[in-house]
Amino acid sequence: MNGSPHLGSAFVVTWLSASLALAGPVLLAALGETFAERSGVLNVGIEGTMLLGALTSFLASYYTGMVWTSLLIAMLVGIIANVFLAWMYVTVRASQVVAGLVFNVLALGVASTVYRRAMGNSAVPENIAMFHPLHIPVISNLPLIGPALFGQTILFYLTLMLAFVAHFILFRTTFGLALRASGENPAAADSAGISVYRMRYAGTLISGAAAGMAGGYLVLAQVGLFRESIVSGQGFIALGIVIFGRWNPLKAAIAALVFGACDALQLSLQIFGTRVPPQLLLALPYVVTILAISGLFGGKAVQPAALMSPYVKD
Amino acid sequence: MARLFERRLTPKDSPLVILATTTTAFFSAMFVTSFLFLSYGASPFQAYFALFHEPFATLRGFGYSLVRASPLALIGLGTIVSWRSGFSYLGFEGCFVIGAAATSWLALLMAPGAIIGPLPFFLFLPLAILFAFAAGGVWAGLVGIVRARMGGNEVLISLMSNYVAIFILQYLVSGPMRAPGSLPETRLLPRNTWLPFLLAGTRAHAGILIAIAAAGLVWMLLQKMPLGYELLVTGFNPLAARYAGIDVARHLVLAAFFAGGLGALAGMVEVLGSQHRLMDGISSGVGFVGIVVALLARLNPLAVIPTALLYGGMSVGADAMQRRASIPSSVTFILQSLAVLLVLIFDALRYYRMNFDFWRRKPPTVAERVSN
Repeated sequence: MNGSPHLGSAFVVTWLSASLALAGPVLLAALGETFAERSGVLNVGIEGTMLLGALTSFLASYYTGMVWTSLLIAMLVGIIANVFLAWMYVTVRASQVVAGLVFNVLALGVASTVYRRAMGNSAVPENIAMFHPLHIPVISNLPLIGPALFGQTILFYLTLMLAFVAHFILFRTTFGLALRASGENPAAADSAGISVYRMRYAGTLISGAAAGMAGGYLVLAQVGLFRESIVSGQGFIALGIVIFGRWNPLKAAIAALVFGACDALQLSLQIFGTRVPPQLLLALPYVVTILAISGLFGGKAVQPAALMSPYVKD
Repeated sequence: MARLFERRLTPKDSPLVILATTTTAFFSAMFVTSFLFLSYGASPFQAYFALFHEPFATLRGFGYSLVRASPLALIGLGTIVSWRSGFSYLGFEGCFVIGAAATSWLALLMAPGAIIGPLPFFLFLPLAILFAFAAGGVWAGLVGIVRARMGGNEVLISLMSNYVAIFILQYLVSGPMRAPGSLPETRLLPRNTWLPFLLAGTRAHAGILIAIAAAGLVWMLLQKMPLGYELLVTGFNPLAARYAGIDVARHLVLAAFFAGGLGALAGMVEVLGSQHRLMDGISSGVGFVGIVVALLARLNPLAVIPTALLYGGMSVGADAMQRRASIPSSVTFILQSLAVLLVLIFDALRYYRMNFDFWRRKPPTVAERVSN
């Protein structure tokens, strides 16, 4: 920071690798949410789903010590929780914002009750099994970008791959077309023989699976413990990323990197000691999200036309 | 083909039916939560006795219930004004914090020897109400402008703004407004700015009176005043509102301003009545529970006061339950949110009517015809 080239490059390295690491979980959640929103469901409940995924993956890793099993369990819990949410959104036709928001309060209650039940008042266990950063030989030693790009955990590369898979499914398969049709013009989709209800269930369940896994990602690859504030709005940030990424998985990946970079900037600047108040930097990712989705840069026109409107089959 | 349950074209919306579905939902939530109590080896009856006895059957506990109910009611009223005007604002956690910070700043100016110096309470209170209301109103009004002028999504923007407000609070109490000491908090507000206590021997303060007055005013606004009517039309059908000559954008911003102001009053009441200083973590989810209260009260301004008392009381009872039966107080979050989810589910039932003719007018069977 103070002109020394060595310190400057150290700053860039930590900043870049932290950016990518922090972008991972929100990107994973945003990829799932893209499916839900493309099918016409605004799933605000991914915040709570992430919390449940974080809790179950922590407990699973604590008791079994197997990271992949824990991740799978988090995903399953995400799916199960979202069966309920999908039922609320699609079958009961409750207001999507209300149902999702109240579900988040419910998830907070469930998570903290179960956590206290399972852990008692004992001290927080120090070691659970976690994913460790891979160090891909040779290329991870490249200057500046090497450690950042090639020194992440396997979950990061998996998430990045899923962005391409999601893009392919949404825009190159019949299923993706049917899903998008249900979110754009459900009546037309219905008369073309697409079951709108089934598509919206599918979209919501995919977002649940991804959000559950994203919660597991937070615990198993980053934090290594559970606390009630572990998600603290990252599910909402994922919703912002979906909008900023224009409901497109690849653009969402870029958007997630921008948010990761803002989040990491605060961490890096704190490590390197600046006079900027830390709260100003902590607020940065949220302010950037607000600006990104404020409509200053357009965006209303590309939103799925039937987003947030329940479908009634006549 | 006669069916036992026939689908209605519109939901039945008589007050009696709405009350019935709401109470059924709440008791169903209590029933489901009883299994949770059973898993702790506690009898559900004793658990519910513990949950409701302290806040509603003891004077001291009732005082605490009133203290907790006041901010919940004010946030619930803010929810009603904005949501019924078609503005799905969720940023009450932020408004609460902004209101609390603005009030504390003003109150600290009233300290002896400070810039303004001691001001009589009857002059200070209106000033504080106006100042907090304006601060919260502008905070939420900005989101309203973004929605009305640029088409941004107010749901997500207001959710994000909560975090920004909380970081502003953390900055204030750890920087410019911090009192000497180890904790991130301001110094104690001067006594002449405190809300008066209502009942001797309890912590109940005049905040509940402010909440009741606000409920009356919101009811007046929405039911009796042209402006409220225009807000409701904007919420029901913005296109029809525009056709009728209502400036929809202006009304959305106005609804946001009122909502933010009411949310900020909740923060003011908390600071002047209960905490008497500004500190980190002052909000702790009250902005969301307030929304839940409004939903359970069916967005009816007069029903908000008893509902807020119920939810405020439950949080007091939960603390007592945690102390005595070591059941974690987070169980009430489950009960409180489950009640509203079940209200949403039972609402679907209002679309159906029971067809009693299903039993009565069966065509006579062959055997019956023969015997006749």
